[in-house]
Amino acid sequence: MASELHVAELLPAYALGSLDEGEAARVSEHLAHCPECRAELRPYLDVAGQLALAAPEAMPPVRLKKQLMRRIDRQRTAPEALKGPGWWQQLAGLLRRSAPAWGLASLVLIVALTASTVWLWQRLYGEDSRAMRMQVVALVSTEAAPGATGKLVISTDGEYGTLVVDGLAPLDAGHQYQLWLIRDGQRASGGVFSVNPHGYGVLEISAPEPLASYPSYGITVEPAGGSPGPTGEKVLGGSL
Amino acid sequence: MATDYHKLDDESLIRLIVRARPEALSELYDRYGRLVFSLAVNAVGDAATAEEITQDVFVRVWERASQYRAEQAQVSTWLTSIARHRAIDQLRRQGVRPEGQSVAWADLSPQAEPTAVGPEQATELSIQRQRVRAAVAQLPAEQKQVLALAYFQGYTQTEIAESLSLPLGTVKTRIRLAMEKLRALLPAED
Repeated sequence: MASELHVAELLPAYALGSLDEGEAARVSEHLAHCPECRAELRPYLDVAGQLALAAPEAMPPVRLKKQLMRRIDRQRTAPEALKGPGWWQQLAGLLRRSAPAWGLASLVLIVALTASTVWLWQRLYGEDSRAMRMQVVALVSTEAAPGATGKLVISTDGEYGTLVVDGLAPLDAGHQYQLWLIRDGQRASGGVFSVNPHGYGVLEISAPEPLASYPSYGITVEPAGGSPGPTGEKVLGGSL
Repeated sequence: MATDYHKLDDESLIRLIVRARPEALSELYDRYGRLVFSLAVNAVGDAATAEEITQDVFVRVWERASQYRAEQAQVSTWLTSIARHRAIDQLRRQGVRPEGQSVAWADLSPQAEPTAVGPEQATELSIQRQRVRAAVAQLPAEQKQVLALAYFQGYTQTEIAESLSLPLGTVKTRIRLAMEKLRALLPAED
Protein backbone atom coordinates (compact mmCIF):
# COMPACT_ATOMS: atom_id res chain seq x y z
CA MET A 1 0.00 0.00 0.00
CA ALA A 2 0.99 3.58 -0.53
CA SER A 3 1.04 4.17 3.23
CA GLU A 4 4.10 1.93 3.53
CA LEU A 5 5.94 4.21 1.13
CA HIS A 6 5.01 7.58 2.66
CA VAL A 7 7.67 10.20 2.30
CA ALA A 8 6.68 12.36 5.28
CA GLU A 9 10.24 12.56 6.58
CA LEU A 10 11.42 14.07 3.31
CA LEU A 11 8.68 16.67 2.94
CA PRO A 12 10.30 19.43 5.05
CA ALA A 13 13.45 19.38 2.91
CA TYR A 14 11.37 19.01 -0.24
CA ALA A 15 9.47 22.20 0.60
CA LEU A 16 12.78 23.94 1.16
CA GLY A 17 14.15 22.69 -2.17
CA SER A 18 17.15 21.07 -0.49
CA LEU A 19 16.65 17.43 -1.44
CA ASP A 20 19.10 15.86 -3.83
CA GLU A 21 17.76 15.27 -7.30
CA GLY A 22 17.01 11.56 -6.88
CA GLU A 23 15.16 12.04 -3.62
CA ALA A 24 13.24 15.01 -4.98
CA ALA A 25 12.11 12.91 -7.94
CA ARG A 26 11.03 10.09 -5.63
CA VAL A 27 9.01 12.51 -3.49
CA SER A 28 7.42 14.10 -6.56
CA GLU A 29 6.42 10.70 -7.82
CA HIS A 30 4.91 9.73 -4.49
CA LEU A 31 3.02 13.02 -4.17
CA ALA A 32 1.27 12.34 -7.46
CA HIS A 33 -0.56 9.41 -5.94
CA CYS A 34 -0.80 10.37 -2.28
CA PRO A 35 -3.25 13.10 -1.25
CA GLU A 36 -2.25 12.52 2.36
CA CYS A 37 1.35 13.55 1.70
CA ARG A 38 0.23 16.45 -0.50
CA ALA A 39 -1.79 17.77 2.44
CA GLU A 40 1.19 17.20 4.72
CA LEU A 41 3.43 19.19 2.37
CA ARG A 42 1.27 22.33 2.30
CA PRO A 43 2.20 23.72 5.76
CA TYR A 44 5.90 23.20 5.03
CA LEU A 45 5.51 25.20 1.82
CA ASP A 46 3.87 27.93 3.91
CA VAL A 47 6.84 27.94 6.27
CA ALA A 48 9.33 28.17 3.41
CA GLY A 49 7.31 31.05 1.97
CA GLN A 50 7.70 33.08 5.14
CA LEU A 51 11.40 32.59 5.81
CA ALA A 52 12.48 35.69 3.86
CA LEU A 53 11.05 37.77 6.69
CA ALA A 54 13.73 36.41 8.98
CA ALA A 55 16.63 37.70 6.85
CA PRO A 56 18.70 40.39 8.58
CA GLU A 57 17.50 43.71 7.24
CA ALA A 58 19.58 45.74 4.87
CA MET A 59 18.63 49.11 3.45
CA PRO A 60 18.81 49.48 -0.32
CA PRO A 61 20.31 52.76 -1.50
CA VAL A 62 17.78 55.48 -2.38
CA ARG A 63 19.12 55.64 -5.92
CA LEU A 64 18.02 52.04 -6.53
CA LYS A 65 14.37 53.01 -6.68
CA LYS A 66 15.16 55.92 -8.98
CA GLN A 67 17.09 53.59 -11.29
CA LEU A 68 14.25 51.10 -11.24
CA MET A 69 11.60 53.67 -12.10
CA ARG A 70 13.78 55.11 -14.89
CA ARG A 71 14.13 51.60 -16.30
CA ILE A 72 10.37 51.10 -16.13
CA ASP A 73 9.84 54.46 -17.78
CA ARG A 74 12.21 53.52 -20.59
CA GLN A 75 10.35 50.25 -21.09
CA ARG A 76 7.04 52.08 -21.24
CA THR A 77 8.18 54.68 -23.72
CA ALA A 78 10.57 52.69 -25.92
CA PRO A 79 7.89 50.88 -27.95
CA GLU A 80 6.12 54.22 -28.59
CA ALA A 81 9.25 55.67 -30.14
CA LEU A 82 9.37 52.81 -32.64
CA LYS A 83 5.80 53.14 -33.80
CA GLY A 84 4.92 54.27 -37.32
CA PRO A 85 3.43 57.72 -36.65
CA GLY A 86 6.84 59.04 -35.67
CA TRP A 87 8.10 58.26 -39.15
CA TRP A 88 5.00 59.67 -40.73
CA GLN A 89 5.14 62.86 -38.76
CA GLN A 90 8.77 63.40 -39.72
CA LEU A 91 8.02 62.71 -43.36
CA ALA A 92 5.00 65.03 -43.39
CA GLY A 93 7.03 67.78 -41.79
CA LEU A 94 9.77 67.35 -44.34
CA LEU A 95 7.32 67.51 -47.24
CA ARG A 96 5.57 70.54 -45.83
CA ARG A 97 8.86 72.35 -45.46
CA SER A 98 10.23 71.35 -48.86
CA ALA A 99 7.04 71.85 -50.89
CA PRO A 100 4.98 74.68 -49.42
CA ALA A 101 3.33 75.43 -52.73
CA TRP A 102 1.60 72.05 -53.05
CA GLY A 103 -2.02 71.84 -52.34
CA LEU A 104 -3.15 70.27 -49.09
CA ALA A 105 -4.77 67.29 -50.82
CA SER A 106 -1.58 66.38 -52.68
CA LEU A 107 0.43 66.62 -49.53
CA VAL A 108 -1.93 64.40 -47.60
CA LEU A 109 -1.98 61.85 -50.44
CA ILE A 110 1.79 61.71 -50.72
CA VAL A 111 2.24 61.47 -46.97
CA ALA A 112 -0.31 58.69 -46.79
CA LEU A 113 1.19 56.73 -49.67
CA THR A 114 4.75 57.13 -48.42
CA ALA A 115 3.85 56.31 -44.85
CA SER A 116 1.85 53.24 -45.80
CA THR A 117 4.75 52.03 -47.94
CA VAL A 118 7.13 52.51 -45.04
CA TRP A 119 4.68 50.75 -42.71
CA LEU A 120 4.26 47.82 -45.07
CA TRP A 121 8.01 47.59 -45.54
CA GLN A 122 8.54 47.57 -41.78
CA ARG A 123 5.88 44.90 -41.30
CA LEU A 124 7.12 42.63 -44.05
CA TYR A 125 10.84 42.86 -43.48
CA GLY A 126 10.84 43.79 -39.82
CA GLU A 127 8.67 40.91 -38.73
CA ASP A 128 10.39 38.52 -41.06
CA SER A 129 13.83 39.32 -39.71
CA ARG A 130 12.59 39.16 -36.13
CA ALA A 131 10.98 35.81 -36.82
CA MET A 132 14.28 34.49 -38.09
CA ARG A 133 15.89 35.20 -34.74
CA MET A 134 13.18 33.51 -32.71
CA GLN A 135 13.94 30.02 -31.53
CA VAL A 136 11.53 27.14 -31.97
CA VAL A 137 11.84 23.96 -29.94
CA ALA A 138 10.03 20.88 -31.23
CA LEU A 139 8.63 18.73 -28.45
CA VAL A 140 8.53 14.98 -28.96
CA SER A 141 5.82 12.76 -27.52
CA THR A 142 6.48 9.90 -25.13
CA GLU A 143 4.79 6.52 -25.09
CA ALA A 144 2.21 8.01 -22.74
CA ALA A 145 0.92 10.33 -25.49
CA PRO A 146 1.44 8.79 -28.90
CA GLY A 147 0.63 11.19 -31.70
CA ALA A 148 0.93 14.33 -29.59
CA THR A 149 3.09 17.19 -30.85
CA GLY A 150 4.25 20.47 -29.42
CA LYS A 151 6.22 23.57 -30.32
CA LEU A 152 7.78 26.04 -27.97
CA VAL A 153 8.52 29.44 -29.50
CA ILE A 154 11.04 31.63 -27.66
CA SER A 155 11.21 35.40 -28.18
CA THR A 156 14.21 37.02 -29.86
CA ASP A 157 15.63 38.18 -26.54
CA GLY A 158 15.18 34.73 -25.00
CA GLU A 159 12.92 36.13 -22.26
CA TYR A 160 9.45 34.99 -23.19
CA GLY A 161 7.77 32.15 -24.98
CA THR A 162 4.59 30.45 -25.99
CA LEU A 163 3.81 26.76 -26.01
CA VAL A 164 1.45 25.24 -28.56
CA VAL A 165 0.41 21.60 -28.29
CA ASP A 166 -1.81 19.39 -30.36
CA GLY A 167 -3.04 15.84 -30.05
CA LEU A 168 -2.88 15.66 -26.26
CA ALA A 169 -5.68 13.82 -24.51
CA PRO A 170 -8.19 16.12 -22.79
CA LEU A 171 -7.99 15.58 -19.01
CA ASP A 172 -10.63 15.37 -16.32
CA ALA A 173 -11.41 18.42 -14.17
CA GLY A 174 -8.99 17.31 -11.49
CA HIS A 175 -5.92 17.36 -13.75
CA GLN A 176 -3.99 19.71 -16.00
CA TYR A 177 -0.83 19.60 -18.03
CA GLN A 178 2.21 21.36 -16.56
CA LEU A 179 5.25 22.62 -18.41
CA TRP A 180 8.64 22.13 -16.74
CA LEU A 181 11.72 24.21 -17.48
CA ILE A 182 14.78 22.10 -16.80
CA ARG A 183 18.29 23.28 -15.98
CA ASP A 184 21.05 21.57 -14.02
CA GLY A 185 18.64 18.83 -13.03
CA GLN A 186 16.29 21.35 -11.42
CA ARG A 187 12.75 21.78 -12.69
CA ALA A 188 10.87 25.06 -12.54
CA SER A 189 7.23 25.34 -13.49
CA GLY A 190 6.49 27.18 -16.73
CA GLY A 191 2.74 27.14 -16.14
CA VAL A 192 -0.25 24.85 -16.30
CA PHE A 193 -2.72 24.48 -19.13
CA SER A 194 -5.59 22.40 -20.46
CA VAL A 195 -6.40 21.36 -23.99
CA ASN A 196 -9.68 21.62 -25.88
CA PRO A 197 -11.72 18.55 -26.86
CA HIS A 198 -9.52 18.23 -29.97
CA GLY A 199 -6.34 18.11 -27.92
CA TYR A 200 -5.15 21.59 -28.88
CA GLY A 201 -3.83 24.02 -26.27
CA VAL A 202 -1.74 27.18 -25.94
CA LEU A 203 0.22 28.47 -22.93
CA GLU A 204 1.94 31.79 -22.47
CA ILE A 205 4.95 30.57 -20.54
CA SER A 206 5.73 31.98 -17.12
CA ALA A 207 9.43 31.43 -16.48
CA PRO A 208 11.20 32.47 -13.27
CA GLU A 209 14.31 33.18 -15.37
CA PRO A 210 14.76 34.03 -19.05
CA LEU A 211 13.25 31.14 -20.98
CA ALA A 212 16.29 30.54 -23.15
CA SER A 213 18.38 29.90 -20.02
CA TYR A 214 16.59 26.54 -19.67
CA PRO A 215 18.03 24.02 -22.11
CA SER A 216 15.31 21.39 -21.77
CA TYR A 217 11.56 21.26 -21.41
CA GLY A 218 9.03 18.64 -20.40
CA ILE A 219 5.28 18.38 -19.95
CA THR A 220 3.62 16.15 -17.36
CA VAL A 221 0.10 15.46 -16.15
CA GLU A 222 -0.46 17.05 -12.74
CA PRO A 223 -3.28 17.72 -10.30
CA ALA A 224 -5.30 20.79 -11.40
CA GLY A 225 -3.42 23.98 -10.56
CA GLY A 226 -0.03 22.32 -10.86
CA SER A 227 2.55 20.78 -8.54
CA PRO A 228 5.78 22.12 -6.98
CA GLY A 229 7.68 19.45 -8.91
CA PRO A 230 6.77 16.93 -11.61
CA THR A 231 4.68 14.11 -10.23
CA GLY A 232 2.77 12.66 -13.18
CA GLU A 233 3.52 10.96 -16.45
CA LYS A 234 5.65 12.82 -18.96
CA VAL A 235 3.84 13.31 -22.27
CA LEU A 236 6.11 15.65 -24.25
CA GLY A 237 9.74 16.73 -24.03
CA GLY A 238 12.43 18.53 -25.98
CA SER A 239 15.67 20.50 -25.83
CA LEU A 240 17.05 23.70 -27.28
CA MET B 1 -10.00 61.45 -8.72
CA ALA B 2 -6.38 60.63 -7.98
CA THR B 3 -5.71 57.12 -6.70
CA ASP B 4 -4.26 56.91 -3.22
CA TYR B 5 -1.84 54.04 -3.75
CA HIS B 6 -0.89 53.91 -0.07
CA LYS B 7 -4.37 52.73 0.77
CA LEU B 8 -4.55 49.92 -1.78
CA ASP B 9 -3.84 46.34 -0.81
CA ASP B 10 -1.09 44.40 -2.54
CA GLU B 11 -3.38 42.58 -4.94
CA SER B 12 -4.94 45.84 -6.10
CA LEU B 13 -1.47 47.18 -6.79
CA ILE B 14 -0.71 44.12 -8.89
CA ARG B 15 -3.90 44.68 -10.89
CA LEU B 16 -2.85 48.27 -11.55
CA ILE B 17 0.64 47.14 -12.57
CA VAL B 18 -1.01 44.85 -15.12
CA ARG B 19 -2.60 48.04 -16.46
CA ALA B 20 0.88 49.59 -16.72
CA ARG B 21 0.57 52.06 -13.84
CA PRO B 22 4.11 52.83 -12.66
CA GLU B 23 2.78 54.49 -9.50
CA ALA B 24 1.54 51.08 -8.39
CA LEU B 25 4.97 49.54 -8.90
CA SER B 26 6.52 52.44 -7.02
CA GLU B 27 4.22 51.75 -4.07
CA LEU B 28 4.94 48.02 -4.20
CA TYR B 29 8.66 48.79 -4.14
CA ASP B 30 8.16 51.04 -1.12
CA ARG B 31 6.48 48.15 0.67
CA TYR B 32 8.77 45.31 -0.28
CA GLY B 33 11.94 46.73 -1.84
CA ARG B 34 13.73 46.49 1.45
CA LEU B 35 12.58 42.93 2.09
CA VAL B 36 13.70 41.80 -1.37
CA PHE B 37 17.03 43.61 -1.06
CA SER B 38 17.64 42.16 2.41
CA LEU B 39 17.01 38.64 1.16
CA ALA B 40 19.26 39.17 -1.86
CA VAL B 41 22.13 40.71 0.04
CA ASN B 42 22.03 37.95 2.63
CA ALA B 43 22.09 35.31 -0.11
CA VAL B 44 24.79 36.70 -2.39
CA GLY B 45 26.73 38.66 0.23
CA ASP B 46 27.37 41.54 -2.14
CA ALA B 47 25.40 44.79 -2.18
CA ALA B 48 25.99 45.56 -5.85
CA THR B 49 24.69 42.15 -6.99
CA ALA B 50 21.81 42.42 -4.54
CA GLU B 51 20.86 45.76 -6.12
CA GLU B 52 20.79 44.11 -9.55
CA ILE B 53 18.66 41.28 -8.24
CA THR B 54 16.26 43.66 -6.53
CA GLN B 55 15.84 45.72 -9.65
CA ASP B 56 15.34 42.58 -11.76
CA VAL B 57 12.67 41.29 -9.39
CA PHE B 58 10.57 44.44 -9.73
CA VAL B 59 11.11 44.67 -13.49
CA ARG B 60 9.90 41.09 -13.71
CA VAL B 61 6.84 42.02 -11.66
CA TRP B 62 6.22 44.92 -14.03
CA GLU B 63 6.45 42.65 -17.06
CA ARG B 64 4.61 39.65 -15.68
CA ALA B 65 2.15 40.91 -13.10
CA SER B 66 -0.64 39.25 -15.07
CA GLN B 67 0.84 35.88 -14.16
CA TYR B 68 0.46 36.45 -10.42
CA ARG B 69 -2.09 34.07 -8.89
CA ALA B 70 -3.47 35.24 -5.56
CA GLU B 71 -4.76 31.77 -4.72
CA GLN B 72 -1.23 30.36 -4.80
CA ALA B 73 0.69 32.86 -2.67
CA GLN B 74 0.67 36.28 -1.07
CA VAL B 75 2.29 39.04 -3.11
CA SER B 76 5.19 39.27 -0.65
CA THR B 77 5.78 35.51 -0.94
CA TRP B 78 5.70 35.76 -4.72
CA LEU B 79 8.27 38.56 -4.66
CA THR B 80 10.63 36.80 -2.27
CA SER B 81 10.29 33.56 -4.18
CA ILE B 82 11.41 35.31 -7.38
CA ALA B 83 14.24 37.00 -5.47
CA ARG B 84 15.42 33.78 -3.86
CA HIS B 85 15.50 31.86 -7.13
CA ARG B 86 17.25 34.72 -8.85
CA ALA B 87 19.87 34.92 -6.05
CA ILE B 88 20.49 31.17 -5.97
CA ASP B 89 20.77 31.11 -9.73
CA GLN B 90 23.31 33.92 -9.54
CA LEU B 91 25.36 31.98 -6.99
CA ARG B 92 25.27 28.86 -9.16
CA ARG B 93 26.24 30.81 -12.27
CA GLN B 94 29.20 32.27 -10.44
CA GLY B 95 30.05 28.78 -9.24
CA VAL B 96 30.84 30.38 -5.92
CA ARG B 97 28.92 29.77 -2.78
CA PRO B 98 31.65 30.67 -0.36
CA GLU B 99 31.73 28.32 2.55
CA GLY B 100 33.01 30.98 4.88
CA GLN B 101 30.32 33.45 4.00
CA SER B 102 28.08 34.02 6.91
CA VAL B 103 24.44 33.54 6.09
CA ALA B 104 22.45 34.30 9.17
CA TRP B 105 19.01 34.95 10.51
CA ALA B 106 17.97 38.28 11.93
CA ASP B 107 17.99 38.68 15.66
CA LEU B 108 14.95 39.86 17.54
CA SER B 109 16.00 43.46 18.14
CA PRO B 110 13.43 45.88 16.78
CA GLN B 111 14.40 47.65 13.60
CA ALA B 112 13.03 50.78 11.98
CA GLU B 113 10.38 50.28 9.36
CA PRO B 114 10.60 52.02 6.00
CA THR B 115 8.76 55.30 6.37
CA ALA B 116 7.25 55.23 2.85
CA VAL B 117 5.09 52.23 3.64
CA GLY B 118 1.45 52.85 4.53
CA PRO B 119 0.75 52.37 8.22
CA GLU B 120 -1.55 49.41 7.78
CA GLN B 121 0.84 47.46 5.58
CA ALA B 122 3.78 48.41 7.79
CA THR B 123 2.05 47.09 10.86
CA GLU B 124 1.00 43.87 9.20
CA LEU B 125 4.45 43.25 7.77
CA SER B 126 6.10 44.13 11.04
CA ILE B 127 3.94 41.69 12.99
CA GLN B 128 4.55 38.95 10.47
CA ARG B 129 8.28 39.65 10.54
CA GLN B 130 8.46 39.53 14.31
CA ARG B 131 6.52 36.30 14.41
CA VAL B 132 8.82 34.57 11.91
CA ARG B 133 11.94 35.87 13.62
CA ALA B 134 10.71 34.78 17.01
CA ALA B 135 10.06 31.31 15.61
CA VAL B 136 13.49 31.04 13.99
CA ALA B 137 15.10 32.33 17.18
CA GLN B 138 13.74 29.32 19.03
CA LEU B 139 15.71 26.91 16.88
CA PRO B 140 19.01 25.54 18.17
CA ALA B 141 22.04 27.21 16.53
CA GLU B 142 23.00 24.11 14.53
CA GLN B 143 19.51 23.90 13.01
CA LYS B 144 19.54 27.59 12.15
CA GLN B 145 22.86 27.14 10.39
CA VAL B 146 21.75 24.34 8.05
CA LEU B 147 18.43 26.05 7.41
CA ALA B 148 20.21 29.27 6.41
CA LEU B 149 22.48 27.44 3.96
CA ALA B 150 19.51 25.67 2.40
CA TYR B 151 17.24 28.69 2.25
CA PHE B 152 19.55 31.56 1.39
CA GLN B 153 22.13 29.79 -0.71
CA GLY B 154 20.17 26.93 -2.19
CA TYR B 155 22.47 24.20 -0.92
CA THR B 156 21.17 20.66 -1.10
CA GLN B 157 21.48 18.53 2.03
CA THR B 158 24.47 16.74 0.54
CA GLU B 159 26.19 20.04 -0.22
CA ILE B 160 25.55 21.24 3.32
CA ALA B 161 27.00 18.02 4.75
CA GLU B 162 30.13 18.44 2.62
CA SER B 163 30.41 22.13 3.39
CA LEU B 164 30.14 21.65 7.15
CA SER B 165 31.92 18.27 7.25
CA LEU B 166 28.91 16.67 8.88
CA PRO B 167 27.34 13.26 8.28
CA LEU B 168 24.50 13.55 5.76
CA GLY B 169 22.10 11.97 8.24
CA THR B 170 22.84 14.70 10.76
CA VAL B 171 22.05 17.42 8.23
CA LYS B 172 18.82 15.72 7.21
CA THR B 173 17.72 15.43 10.83
CA ARG B 174 18.54 19.06 11.56
CA ILE B 175 16.60 20.36 8.58
CA ARG B 176 13.63 18.15 9.33
CA LEU B 177 13.51 19.13 12.99
CA ALA B 178 13.91 22.83 12.13
CA MET B 179 11.07 22.78 9.62
CA GLU B 180 8.82 20.76 11.92
CA LYS B 181 9.38 23.23 14.72
CA LEU B 182 8.68 26.20 12.45
CA ARG B 183 5.57 24.51 11.15
CA ALA B 184 4.30 24.20 14.70
CA LEU B 185 5.13 27.81 15.53
CA LEU B 186 3.99 29.58 12.37
CA PRO B 187 0.36 29.58 11.33
CA ALA B 188 -0.31 29.21 7.63
CA GLU B 189 -0.44 32.32 5.44
CA ASP B 190 -3.91 33.63 4.67
